[in-house]
Amino acid sequence: MSQVNPTTEARADYFDLIFYREVIALFRTWQEITVVPDDRLPSVEQRRACERLLYAEARLIDSGRLGDWLALYTEDCAYWLPTDIGLRDPAATVSWEFDDRRRLEERVERLATGRAYSQIPPTRTAHLYTNMEMMTHGEREVLVFCNFLIHTNRLGRIGQRAGWCGFLLRLTDSGWRIVIKRINLLDADQPQDNNSFTL
Amino acid sequence: MGTLNSIGAGLLAGPYDRYFRPGYVHRDLYISPQIFEEEMTRIFGSSWVYVGHESEVPDADDFVTRTLGRRPVILTRDRQGSLHVLINRCTHRGSIICRQDRGKAARFTCGYHAWTFSNEGKCVGIPLKHAYEPHFKLEAQNLRAAPKVQSYRGFIFASLSTDVPSLVEHLAHARRYLDEWLDRGERLPIVVRAGEMKFNTHANWKTIYDNAGDGYHPPFSHISMLRVFARRYGDVDMQYYSANFDEAPLLSRDLGNGHTLLDQRPSMHSESAWKRQHVLPGREVLWEALNQKYGPERALAMLDASTGSGLNLNIFPNLLIIGNQIQVVEPAAVDRTVVRWFSTTLEGAPDEINAIRMRMQEDFPSFGEVDDTAHFESCQMGMETVPEMEWIDIRRHMSTGAGRIEEDGARTDPISSDLHMRCYYDAWKQRMTAGTS
Repeated sequence: MSQVNPTTEARADYFDLIFYREVIALFRTWQEITVVPDDRLPSVEQRRACERLLYAEARLIDSGRLGDWLALYTEDCAYWLPTDIGLRDPAATVSWEFDDRRRLEERVERLATGRAYSQIPPTRTAHLYTNMEMMTHGEREVLVFCNFLIHTNRLGRIGQRAGWCGFLLRLTDSGWRIVIKRINLLDADQPQDNNSFTL
Repeated sequence: MGTLNSIGAGLLAGPYDRYFRPGYVHRDLYISPQIFEEEMTRIFGSSWVYVGHESEVPDADDFVTRTLGRRPVILTRDRQGSLHVLINRCTHRGSIICRQDRGKAARFTCGYHAWTFSNEGKCVGIPLKHAYEPHFKLEAQNLRAAPKVQSYRGFIFASLSTDVPSLVEHLAHARRYLDEWLDRGERLPIVVRAGEMKFNTHANWKTIYDNAGDGYHPPFSHISMLRVFARRYGDVDMQYYSANFDEAPLLSRDLGNGHTLLDQRPSMHSESAWKRQHVLPGREVLWEALNQKYGPERALAMLDASTGSGLNLNIFPNLLIIGNQIQVVEPAAVDRTVVRWFSTTLEGAPDEINAIRMRMQEDFPSFGEVDDTAHFESCQMGMETVPEMEWIDIRRHMSTGAGRIEEDGARTDPISSDLHMRCYYDAWKQRMTAGTS
């Protein structure tokens, strides 16, 4: 019997109960405000940088470049697809996916094995991000709320996923990166078709 | 009881006989709309079907909506604490009365003409009643209800027929394993209010049930997941599915009445299930927090009791216990099934344990179930499109003599056996032909 001995360098030290509380608080902000307060409007430069990052994120998913996509995320990132349409506590509620950096890497590695049958053939996607609202979160971070529409095609069958995304973006030493992506499917609590592609 | 195995031996005679040959079942069982309709009456409409868990309706006036086959039902708890399974169809014009997933209500009022029913199913009000005949009685308009509702240690089952054995008798040997699943660790009660995943599967419901007891597919269907975890973490999880896994201590069991078990516990739990488990988000920090609070020994015991249970317990026709989840099979059409994965927390467990349970209950659905679903859907496509190929092969370990009858009278086979399908189709045949000969 071998002990679990991670071979990855991915950070594993941040997904504790405090982190859960912080994540919930981040998204509650969007439920509380009407318009983004003046003192939290990002600068034009920040806004441009954030848009550039998110459009690159969408394009890298749509072109299947998941290694490059992963590089847009920070070492303390989270990728979150809830099963509810409210804001239930992920520490006590199951999500479709609530991945830390390590599990996100595993997800990309699984799809790259060539044996991930749910993605043979892969789901082709076109991600559209729109209605982008942004507000600063401290000195080096920006919260983004946007609507999304993902047009899909797998085995010749057309599909769609829609809802809103919440992002937390951070200016790091190597540029803007994604800290959190929360994908809120309109029908997250309803039966889902094959969502094993990257949303 | 199930050891008869008539599909293997080709014994019974009846209207469905032509769909069975020794070691094979016919594709029509998966693609015929007529057979599907008949199943909704005979399998899901005249014997025990799992409906929900008591923790979903803990207090008076709680309700959740579910299905019995395709019939919408409301599972309610009344003021006296009794459970009811009411057909969610207005006795007036057929409208669906309750359109919410869950909530609290002493009464349900149909939105169409305001006919009102108590949560015991009694008709308690009809507007402008004078327009009916003089002897019109409210109590003749009650909601239809399942005449039999029983629960076993929190698991609520209902039957639309009264001509059924007691629930305990129906559960047969499955009861023992349900007990073992519930009695892990410190025996904290499970709570089924922590969210669920619903998979829309374009396949017949039995394809999902077939797979639930299929111990042959894991190393092949799930190779992508197993490879990633092996490369990162070494000998974890189901890596014991090695070259000849029929020789490993992994078992397939017949539990009677269509219920079966895949038991991986001898391999998975031989030392510490938690230590064998691949990593999950927060593993190290939450483990450390538990060590600090409870000391390493108790912390590990709590973690072991919340790690993948190592058993797949299949209770015919719609309840599958897998890991810490309660999986429910909801037939929607001959070629569509909703598979619901209810997550469970433990009442009174530390928050760290329940957080670990949540993240653990996300890994197989998104790393494994998705591949299973893709295979279910391709099986459906293959069965529908090739009329020249009528038969589905269920011969594994039918003639090797590798199995044995245990002391309790139930049969055990090597893990890769098709015993599960041969057994449950026996129960299927019995239910489908009951009272027709």
